[in-house]
Amino acid sequence: MLRFWLTFSALTTALVIATLLGFLLQASWPLLQSQGLSFVTEPEWYPYEALYGLLPVLVGSFWSIVLALLLAVPTGLAAAILCAELLPGRGRAVLRFSMELMAGIPSVVYGLLGLWLLLPLLESQFDLLTGRSLLAAGLLLALMILPTIMVFSETAIRAVVAEQRQTAMLLGLDWPTRLLRVLLPQAWPGIRIAILLALGRAMGETVAVMLVVGSLDRLPQPLYNLLQPAQTLTSRIGREMAEAAVGSVHWAALIASGLTLALVAMALSLLIQRWR
Amino acid sequence: MRHRLFIILSFLFVLVPTVLATDQVRVAGSTTVLPIVAEAAKHYRKLHPGLSLTVSGGGSGVGVASIDQGLIEIGMASRDLTTTEKQRLQGKVRQVAIARDAVAVAVSKAVFDAGVTQLSLAQIAAIYRGEIKNWQQLGGPDRRILVIDKEASRGTRHVFAKVVLGSERARAAGATIITGSNNEEQAAIANSDKAIGMLSHAWLNDAVRAVAVGEANEAVLPTFENVANGRYPIQRQLNLLVSEKSSEIGNTFIDFLLSSKGQQLVQQVGYLPVR
Repeated sequence: MLRFWLTFSALTTALVIATLLGFLLQASWPLLQSQGLSFVTEPEWYPYEALYGLLPVLVGSFWSIVLALLLAVPTGLAAAILCAELLPGRGRAVLRFSMELMAGIPSVVYGLLGLWLLLPLLESQFDLLTGRSLLAAGLLLALMILPTIMVFSETAIRAVVAEQRQTAMLLGLDWPTRLLRVLLPQAWPGIRIAILLALGRAMGETVAVMLVVGSLDRLPQPLYNLLQPAQTLTSRIGREMAEAAVGSVHWAALIASGLTLALVAMALSLLIQRWR
Repeated sequence: MRHRLFIILSFLFVLVPTVLATDQVRVAGSTTVLPIVAEAAKHYRKLHPGLSLTVSGGGSGVGVASIDQGLIEIGMASRDLTTTEKQRLQGKVRQVAIARDAVAVAVSKAVFDAGVTQLSLAQIAAIYRGEIKNWQQLGGPDRRILVIDKEASRGTRHVFAKVVLGSERARAAGATIITGSNNEEQAAIANSDKAIGMLSHAWLNDAVRAVAVGEANEAVLPTFENVANGRYPIQRQLNLLVSEKSSEIGNTFIDFLLSSKGQQLVQQVGYLPVR
């Protein structure tokens, strides 16, 4: 009986995911029918002229997520090591509690903080026309995913069994060697999950990004220019979803953006699962 | 004990559906029209306590799309319906004008104070096309221009683009950032010292100033008077869209807005009454 229910639940989960993908595919069909897959590489998005190019948002999403991970993974991991290995009990509790608190703050609050603090700062520091940029989105996302990485990694590092630590110490290994050769490799599966969850949050984040990214559907010039206003997949969906008539090509194009995001997320999570 | 629980539960089962069944009017769309309807709703609720009346924003595009999909009883639009929309909604939806409004060309206070108080339509168009990039070219300070465009579906943008750029869906190659609601745009202009944007004139304030629009000697400000006599070029009707098969209540609410009390509220929130 137990076996039946377990199988049933697992199958239901798989079915939900399959249905979701099926729905996204079906809803984006009008676009696929009229343009094929070329919309992924088209540089212009202008619904009123029937132009549905995803390239600018793909570039925008790519940079904001890469920037966020580049900043948040090393810092989050460092904070986790500090917290798990170096701090005494009380310091550890305070650090961990504040991180957990940070993880619970709604994203719109981060967005407003970005709007009032980050944007004017960037504007004056880099002498920009406006602080709204991919850099702002990346920095804000880094702050938002930092607690996820830190809390999960810390749990993973502390879960390394005492025998392993004692053996390493008895072998006379110094602290850096113990950390790099014993603790981190042992904790790696947990850290990997932390990065995966953080990646998921960064990819799906809409409101906070929408407020600081500038929402301009234009390719950065040159492509690595992070100081220009841009648009990401989610911020575009957030801005335009409500206005598109259900069943129109515009609607299909927005669903196709969602489908692209879902497929990329799945591919990345498979990749990270295999990355040992 | 169990008996009592049973009674409470049955009350809930009876009461909740009764409450849900009371008359409901949902209004959504243009954030320009929203202050009028929100203010009117406050007064209207006092007259009809049992009524559930909710008002939310989203923009004119959302108002039109939602009434089309039957998600709301009344849509708000700060522009007239386009030809395609008219065809789509023919016989389903009635358009009622409740106010008139000017779309102000708004600049940051710092720009205004530095001397940019008047712009011709050609100059505004040049800014939005990306041909003029510095305030110095317009007699202002030596600062690049932060050109704020709006989401393509917004009513304010339709009206502005039609008058300034020649077509309601014209592209604005000079745009630096895109904003959505009047609120968002107002904040973006107020927080900058070099911005220009398009804004319903009811949203102007000390930090967000309107420039006079037109050639040097005949430029006019977006005032009640200039809207009424038709001299201000970028103006429009503010509309409500009512579903034809909508309940009595939706219609009585609109009658209330068109009554002298309703039109008084229109003026109070900063728009020009239609009656």
